[in-house]
Amino acid sequence: MVQDKLLKIHNLHKSYGDLDIFKGLSLAMDRGDRLVIIGPSGGGKSTLLRIVMGLEDITGGDVYLDGKPYILRDGGKTKIDHKLQARVGMVFQHYTLFPHLDILRNLTLAPVKTRGIPRAEAKAMALLERFGLAAKARAYPSQLSGGQKQRVAIARALMLDPDLLLFDEVTSALDPELVAEVEAVMMELADHGMPMMIVTHDMHFARNIASRVVFAAGGVVVEDGPPEQVLDNPQVARTREFVERVFARKK
Amino acid sequence: MGYELQFFYVWQNLDKLGQGLLVSLELTGLANLIGLTAGFAIALMLRARMPVLRLPATALVELFRCTPVLIQVVWFFYCVPILFNLFVDPMVMGVLALGLNLAAFNAEGYRAAIQSVPREQYDACAALGLGGWSRVRHVVLPHALRAALPVLMTNGITIFQQSALVALVAIPDLMYEGKMLATETYRPIETYTVVAAIYFAISAPISLIVQRIEARFDRVQA
Ligand SMILES: Nc1ncnc2c1ncn2[C@@H]1O[C@H](COP(=O)(O)OP(=O)(O)OP(=O)(O)O)[C@@H](O)[C@H]1O
Ligand SMILES: [Mg+2]
Repeated sequence: MVQDKLLKIHNLHKSYGDLDIFKGLSLAMDRGDRLVIIGPSGGGKSTLLRIVMGLEDITGGDVYLDGKPYILRDGGKTKIDHKLQARVGMVFQHYTLFPHLDILRNLTLAPVKTRGIPRAEAKAMALLERFGLAAKARAYPSQLSGGQKQRVAIARALMLDPDLLLFDEVTSALDPELVAEVEAVMMELADHGMPMMIVTHDMHFARNIASRVVFAAGGVVVEDGPPEQVLDNPQVARTREFVERVFARKK
Repeated sequence: MGYELQFFYVWQNLDKLGQGLLVSLELTGLANLIGLTAGFAIALMLRARMPVLRLPATALVELFRCTPVLIQVVWFFYCVPILFNLFVDPMVMGVLALGLNLAAFNAEGYRAAIQSVPREQYDACAALGLGGWSRVRHVVLPHALRAALPVLMTNGITIFQQSALVALVAIPDLMYEGKMLATETYRPIETYTVVAAIYFAISAPISLIVQRIEARFDRVQA
């Protein structure tokens, strides 16, 4: 029996007014994949993750989880299956913690209110322990460093046991010395086999964590392959151009 | 200037001013009760998509914000009874006028506060499957109430000062008692100075607290 893909994006169209962001983008990932998406600024990387998370309307196409469509067009409207959407989690660039709740409550609010998950506190404490944040359980987000906040945000997403975790430039807002601690947490998740879709500008990190790298530009996937291919030896001229420019800027 | 300040008569009648103050505080308290609750309801109406809800709310807010409070009080006191054949206790009219005025200003504060909840907070809720009433109750409301608190408190003490206008329609508040006392004792300077000091003594600490809260919010923003 052929197993269904964990995630399948089929012929995705998305536009803002006259601006076409996606023009028939298709992309699939397996359970073992850690997909890093690279591409020009304004190319739609954030929009893609937001669509997969169910935060955006689409103009055409559909998105499947385990072979079941959960985002699609129907009767001129975007339909989202919230049961399936709940199996996807997302971590944002700017943490988006709830400022009025302490760290523990940030983690337990959604599980308790929406799923009635028992022993959410014990689970939250175990996650905080695992990420070295147990001492901060009763602190408020404003009392944490950017790196700590982002680790809390990751823990919060993990509370709901997602089948797929999306990361949108989660280290871009951090001071350079705080980037490593967040990337270390993501590497640990990768080692545990967590399926992830990651947007990052950090090519070194991309190489370390990715099982596949996708270069998206002009509203479609231009190149898709292992990091050694897409980052070091791109097959498509357009990818080569982009990668060379990014690495040249780094030097 | 040959005027000699004499506070003796004022001190002797301080109990009258005290009674007036109680009336002023009662007016303020009741007006705030209306202002905090009706203001929130009006704010929700202002945000409503349906014009039947939005337009009356907008009209009410603009009417109260674009006319002098003095006229609002006078209008409630002299015009409402005749227009609507409604003769009630002046105190009730005073509370209504001040309360609705405050509701209009608070509605604007609530509305701005709800609007100030960052879009990212809604995204975070959606990503966590937190929707409907849970989202309002645990994310939007706490956020908005915090953001609105300084404005609500400032409006609340402003209405305490505006309440002095009801003296004009013979409600025996602090201002009214002060006026009576000034006439009786021929000591207007001393009397009005003490009356002003009383208004100040009540308002200033609250104003300071508001400043503290705002400074704290600025620090906590993150
Ligand atoms: N709500 C919106 N309304 C209109 N246009 C939008 C909206 N959100 C995004 N866009 C546009 O869509 C395009 C894609 O944006 P997106 O943020 O997805 O790009 P990105 O690849 O993540 O860029 P970056 O690398 O700078 O983060 C941009 O041109 C952006 O201006
Ligand atoms: Mg982006």
